[in-house]
Amino acid sequence: MALNSGTLPREQMKPDHQESTSAERLGSETGALMHTEIMSLNVGPQHPSTHGVLRLVVDMDGEYVIKVTPHMGYLHTGFEKTFENRTYQQGVTYAPRTDYLHCFGHELAYVLGVEKLLQAEVPERATIVRVILHELGRIHSHLVFVGTGMLDLGALTPFFYAFREKEALQDLFESVCGYRMNQGYFRVGGLSRDIPEDWPARVSVFLDQFEKGVTEYENLFAKNPIFLDRATGVGVIPRDVALDLGLTGPNLRASGVGLDHRKANPYCGYENYSFDVPVSTAGDSLARFQVRLLEFRESAKIVRQALKMLKPGPVKDPNRKISLPPRHELETSMEAVIHHFKLVTEGFHPPVGEVYVPVESARGEVGYYIVSDGGSMPYRVKIRAPSFVNLQALEYACVGSQFADLITILATIDPVLGDVDR
Amino acid sequence: MDAVTGSGGDGSGGEKLTGRNASMQSSQSQPQPARPVAETRPTPVDDPSVGRHSLAAQGLNPTDPRDVKPLMAALGLTEDDAAEPTAVVPAEQLREVATQLKARGFMLMDTVGIDYSAYSSSRPKRFAVLHNVYHPDDHRRLFLRVWLDDGEALDSLYSIWKSANYLEREVYDLMGVEFVGHPDLRKVLTPDDLEGHPLRKDFPLGETPTLFREGRFLDPAAFRAGLSGQQRGLTGYRGELRRGQGEDRMPPVMPEGGPK
Repeated sequence: MALNSGTLPREQMKPDHQESTSAERLGSETGALMHTEIMSLNVGPQHPSTHGVLRLVVDMDGEYVIKVTPHMGYLHTGFEKTFENRTYQQGVTYAPRTDYLHCFGHELAYVLGVEKLLQAEVPERATIVRVILHELGRIHSHLVFVGTGMLDLGALTPFFYAFREKEALQDLFESVCGYRMNQGYFRVGGLSRDIPEDWPARVSVFLDQFEKGVTEYENLFAKNPIFLDRATGVGVIPRDVALDLGLTGPNLRASGVGLDHRKANPYCGYENYSFDVPVSTAGDSLARFQVRLLEFRESAKIVRQALKMLKPGPVKDPNRKISLPPRHELETSMEAVIHHFKLVTEGFHPPVGEVYVPVESARGEVGYYIVSDGGSMPYRVKIRAPSFVNLQALEYACVGSQFADLITILATIDPVLGDVDR
Repeated sequence: MDAVTGSGGDGSGGEKLTGRNASMQSSQSQPQPARPVAETRPTPVDDPSVGRHSLAAQGLNPTDPRDVKPLMAALGLTEDDAAEPTAVVPAEQLREVATQLKARGFMLMDTVGIDYSAYSSSRPKRFAVLHNVYHPDDHRRLFLRVWLDDGEALDSLYSIWKSANYLEREVYDLMGVEFVGHPDLRKVLTPDDLEGHPLRKDFPLGETPTLFREGRFLDPAAFRAGLSGQQRGLTGYRGELRRGQGEDRMPPVMPEGGPK
């Protein structure tokens, strides 16, 4: 029973259908206004601030949240079952669709897992291009975080600023593989094709422009007094609770644990790049925001180093049992035709085994637990989805805060519902 | 013709990939694929000097310095022969082992449920639940594997790690393993009206009987049978007519009450 009669004269405010409220029994004169009961408020699933199709049932006592019950699954499409019925190479199509904001994180985790099964040899150029795209993807995801996160707090401008850069990034993604989202550009053993010749130069131009933009964000948003009021001390997740809840990624680093798989378990030659891992010990929404803002610069730093290391060379594993032969060979070599036919119709057969390669995505640890029974399709694929685990922090962090803070906390936890529901 | 026989390299080269018994660790000593006859350019993988070393370069070496063998010995666990460091834990010891791991600072990253009922080799029991635990400071990772029969329940780790909440709900929802002591064991991803557990191997792939606008009704099972030529299905109907047979056959009709 919400008090929706705020415009009525005070004497008419008393609800006539209610005999007596608890406050009236206590003898209060403004009994109708004072009466309290727990109200369940439904948020979503179609609500812009839920970043997708998350449905929350919020039990509220006045303006204060006493319980949050998330209901997931509106975007569940059974990717894990689909993986079991597609060849390993076809799985690359599904991996980026789980986290549609940092597609390359999931793609990379999947192909690294299959490559570990196959003992595939990835050429250096392909690895460096993967690092560049992985980091640009992280920037892409964090831009959406800044844009939509601030939009949830009522600031419209950051959305346009961030999406200006995001558009430029999507143009870069489109020019390497033809897709602006859900790229599916990586292949087991390398990349689907080489990057365009002018692409590294275009990335440099983007970075120059982007780094100016980051300075702008820092000045405009991170020092905005309204934003600081809304975010400081809101939704504090202490270190031990963050570890208990299994948080990873920027959310964990904002709670004082410097776990970053690019440093801890280097993949794709991340040990060759010099970069810092921003860590904050505050654990509140502001810390989660600041950690991601700092990661912008670190990612840009890695991309600049990778662009310098980029040398011409092959971008696919030369093993014809894994990679498709070049198109021109199909006209001259029977061997190439046979390999092409076998790979396209049946795919390769990794040896029996179970692998897991953790990758640091924009949201945290992404890993594909891949079980192979020797067939051409995975026996089982389990996606370790960081958003799914991180979302558990919402129930913890929101209790006792105001409803407006729930929106802040949800925005700074930054789940992607494709990643939650898979 | 030489080109075709050259494809013999395809079969023998497959050794590298299909060798059932080749474990991940022993791949260094796997037989090299035979050099193809017709291929004029040697494929670099045939050259032993080029190599299998990119895994180490990618940080994917299975023999990681963060060895968990001493830890497994301290906890009295036996090692599984999987590529990842995996310990087999009896179901009744799981909670005790988890308590000790938590005391050592490990966090629960993931819970994986696997249905081995269609696996190529025989496994001890039908289901395996793997708890993926990780140490955030010294970066050790350990998988705790518990074997379970159908209908056998497992102790929930919620009382030890709060992250087990959604992870166990997901395994319960998709794999049908029940967790004893979980405070809120509900479905999490699939709709409430879906019966069964989709990631079990005996759960059928989604096939919806479809009623077309012209009134033709498509029964998926019959359609598939016709496509694969195993039996006379809906797609075989026309072919039989062309061959002068099958006039007596009618396409399946829509059941009462619409598609199920």
